Amino acid sequence: MKKYQLGEFEEIVILTIGILNNRAYSVSIKDEIESRLSRTVSFGALHTALKRLEEKGYLKSFVGESTDERAGRPRQYFEITAMGKKAMRYTKDTRDELWKAIPKTVWQANLTC
Amino acid sequence: MSKRVTSAPRLFLRFFRWYCDPKMHGYIEGDLMEAYHARLIKYGKRKADMQFIVDVLLLFRPGIIRSKSEYRNLNSADMIKSYFKTGVRYLWRSKLHSILNITGLTFGIVCFLLIDLYVFDELTFDQQHTNAERIYRVVEHKNVRGEATTIAAAGFKLAEESKTSIPEVESTTRMQRIGRANLVDPENPVPFQEDVTIADEHFLELFDFPLISGDKHTALKQPASIIINEDLAMRIFGRTDVMGKSLEFSFLPLSLKITGILKNHPRNSSFNFNSVMSESTAHNSDWFKQLMGSDWASNAFSVYVLLTPHSNPDSVSKKMTRLVLSNFKPDEGTKLSYSLQPLKDLHLKSANIIDGARNPNVEGIPQGNPLYITIFSFAAMFVLLIAGINYTNLTTARASSRIKEIGVRKAIGATRSNLIRQFLFESWLTTGIAFVLAIVVASLVLPSFNQFAHKQLSLFAVDYRFWAYAIGAVVIIGLLAGSYSALLLSRFRPVSLLKGLKIQSTGDLSVRKVLVVFQFTICIVMIIGTIVLLLQVRYLNNTDLGFNKDLMVVIDVNTGAARTNFEVIKDQMSKVAAVKSVSVTSRVPGEWKSFRTVRISGEGTTDEQRVSYLIGADKDFMTTFEVTLLQGRNFREAYDSSNIIINETAARMLGITEASEQTVEIASVSPGGAFETLDVPFKPRVIGIVKDFHFQSLRDKIQPLIIAYNQNPIHVIDYYSVKIAPTDIPGTLEKLKGIMVNSDQRDPFEYHFLDEQLALFYVEDERRQTLLGWTAFATIFIACLGLFGLATYSTEQRVKEIGVRKVLGATIPGLVSLLSRDFLKFVLIASCIAFPIAWWATHRWLQEYAYHIEVEWWIFVLAGALATGIALLTVSYQAIKTAFSNPVDSLRSE
Repeated sequence: MKKYQLGEFEEIVILTIGILNNRAYSVSIKDEIESRLSRTVSFGALHTALKRLEEKGYLKSFVGESTDERAGRPRQYFEITAMGKKAMRYTKDTRDELWKAIPKTVWQANLTC
Repeated sequence: MSKRVTSAPRLFLRFFRWYCDPKMHGYIEGDLMEAYHARLIKYGKRKADMQFIVDVLLLFRPGIIRSKSEYRNLNSADMIKSYFKTGVRYLWRSKLHSILNITGLTFGIVCFLLIDLYVFDELTFDQQHTNAERIYRVVEHKNVRGEATTIAAAGFKLAEESKTSIPEVESTTRMQRIGRANLVDPENPVPFQEDVTIADEHFLELFDFPLISGDKHTALKQPASIIINEDLAMRIFGRTDVMGKSLEFSFLPLSLKITGILKNHPRNSSFNFNSVMSESTAHNSDWFKQLMGSDWASNAFSVYVLLTPHSNPDSVSKKMTRLVLSNFKPDEGTKLSYSLQPLKDLHLKSANIIDGARNPNVEGIPQGNPLYITIFSFAAMFVLLIAGINYTNLTTARASSRIKEIGVRKAIGATRSNLIRQFLFESWLTTGIAFVLAIVVASLVLPSFNQFAHKQLSLFAVDYRFWAYAIGAVVIIGLLAGSYSALLLSRFRPVSLLKGLKIQSTGDLSVRKVLVVFQFTICIVMIIGTIVLLLQVRYLNNTDLGFNKDLMVVIDVNTGAARTNFEVIKDQMSKVAAVKSVSVTSRVPGEWKSFRTVRISGEGTTDEQRVSYLIGADKDFMTTFEVTLLQGRNFREAYDSSNIIINETAARMLGITEASEQTVEIASVSPGGAFETLDVPFKPRVIGIVKDFHFQSLRDKIQPLIIAYNQNPIHVIDYYSVKIAPTDIPGTLEKLKGIMVNSDQRDPFEYHFLDEQLALFYVEDERRQTLLGWTAFATIFIACLGLFGLATYSTEQRVKEIGVRKVLGATIPGLVSLLSRDFLKFVLIASCIAFPIAWWATHRWLQEYAYHIEVEWWIFVLAGALATGIALLTVSYQAIKTAFSNPVDSLRSE
């Protein structure tokens, strides 16, 4: 169980990186999350999450081009590693299993409320 | 574009750069900038700025803040090891440089340690008592019609009653030094003339005078008890296990039992008694009964009080004053009050307090002089500072030898703080080595230092505070010495270092110049100080005192027989072949015990009474001491007992120009404390005036002196002064002893040579002179080491220039003067600064003496010339060596 741990925000970040595919760097990830999920993301939270994911080995980063609007600072692109993919898959699978295990009546009961 | 970028709030950007982990810093700053840029276009500057600030603040979280520990680890273990290695290598490689540095610092630290031990010892007098912080001495302030006396003495009742009626007073003790008497062991009666000290039973409880044997609570309880110290026990019995033995004082009809053996006093104790008799021994005598009944305000006792913790001595002393005044009414016009003096101030802060409650023939508590404590503390600090300056100068002068290293270090990524740390570490390494060496040297020198300073100092038995202070000072000196070079060397840009391998820096040179000037200023001040001290001590010992002190044996009169039979004894002494003349007196010129003073006025006048000193002397006084009679006549026969001779100062005071048997009136006399009115006023006639002579130390101005006849009602005779021939002095002394002992078996034959006794007045001055002299020497030596080092490097740097000059035909004297000129300039500037300081300091010091030398111009010239000469010798060695070198050697390689 401990094998693939992914927090809620981390999951969102790694999924977004998957969506962005090769174009994933912090600003684009932030914009993507903000537009898709309509929630604000601070650089602080994002960078901490990215750093942690990288430390866990789910992400790999490489240095990209630098632009003028970045005051000459390079972009740091992210890419999901094989282990990251496994972790995503694992998370999804466990969630699906849990979904399946919920009795149908729960939904009906909820509806009557 | 760049305009917009820089318009992000700089303060927050800086803040971000400061806290951000360097590994992430670049990307995140890029992100921030990109976002800022986007928002700037979208929302405008204000909003973008706000957002930027929020972003920066939200980024301030663990995971993004740089972790300090990562870098610390690297430094504290590995880097220090590396610094150590580089430091040792560097020291090893440049041996001359290291030897100069370490020798200078070692010398400096040795001086510093020794002087500080001395100063520390002076400052911690009487601290060996457990309750030292709470013990106070009672001091009486009396003012009789404007005439103030401050005396450390009080009455019996004050000591007794304040215990019960003042709650802050935990306990009190009384002590008296009632005189000198023969102390003998009845089984083996060899007389020893000793001070008689009496103290009550609480004495040993309040103070911690350690007892080798005996019980401190009971030792002084019983009447006829006496405690003696090891020294005295060894002298009388030849051993220290003498508990329960008996001793006899010649003035007491009973025998005393030894109830305790005291350890010898440490040298830093104000108390110097070697025996104490229990006060209860005296309780039955009439005079003591009287004291116990009603003595509130006498000066008979030294009273020490122990206060409860945290009580305020001022309020206690006010209560004491009130207590005394409510029981005792002072005479009309007399004001009386008391104060409490902390025990720790006894040694250094008692200059204006008379040491009371003692018979004038007992020597008072020896005093320290706070002025010298200040002078020595400064001297110690300056020596250390000069050694530190040497380090700074030599290190910065040699900066060029480390340029490559610094350049490479910087290129690899050393930050400025890394380099600063490295250089500071090196300076601490050097001072550390010097400190260890200094401890070794100091402990080797200490025995002779102790002997000369008359102290019992030890480096290893000293208080932890001394070491804390010494180590602190050494660390600070290491920091000061290293910091300038560290800041300077770490400042250079790596590129210019590696490219040019040269430092173009004039700033450090001028700092170095200032430091050298500073060093030499101190040196010159110290040289002048030492010369002045030397001259003054010589002046004190050699000045014409107005009497002849040479070959004068002064024999104490210790027994009644020696006093009453003086005519016979004198006659016998004069018959000894080597004796030139004999005189009996109550005090001698250059006296070490207290003189008596009297109040005197012309008879029948309403003039106010003046104070004058008085001695008793016989008709041979003037011939024996070679005192010049100016006017009138000498004493002749017994009827002269109501005549007096006065000195010039007394004559001036009394308005007497011609000795014509004027009657004067002496109404009261003081044995060294308050004046006591005589029952019958003494009304002698003035028959002669003598030339002033220095009957006291040269610190004091000549005071009015009355020479009364030997049989006078004020002071009985106390000495035989015997002028002897210089041949076979021991034989003569043996004969004199025979005469004294013949007259009284119990006489211990106590004698002094007057010149030696006078020299004792100035023995402390001589010690100070020697100490200051050595410090000055060390200062100059250290400064010269530094100068030598500087000269070496500055000539090394100019070696090519010298080569070229030589090739072009420069002469050797020309080159030597070229190389030495700079340094001479420093010494001259230093002289200009030092002279006024030295003049001011020595002038102030000389004011301590009523009779002193003048600070003359040639002293300054001599000091300046000395400093210049020494500096020149130091520098010219290098200069000459370089000037004589073959230019081929220096120019061949380019």
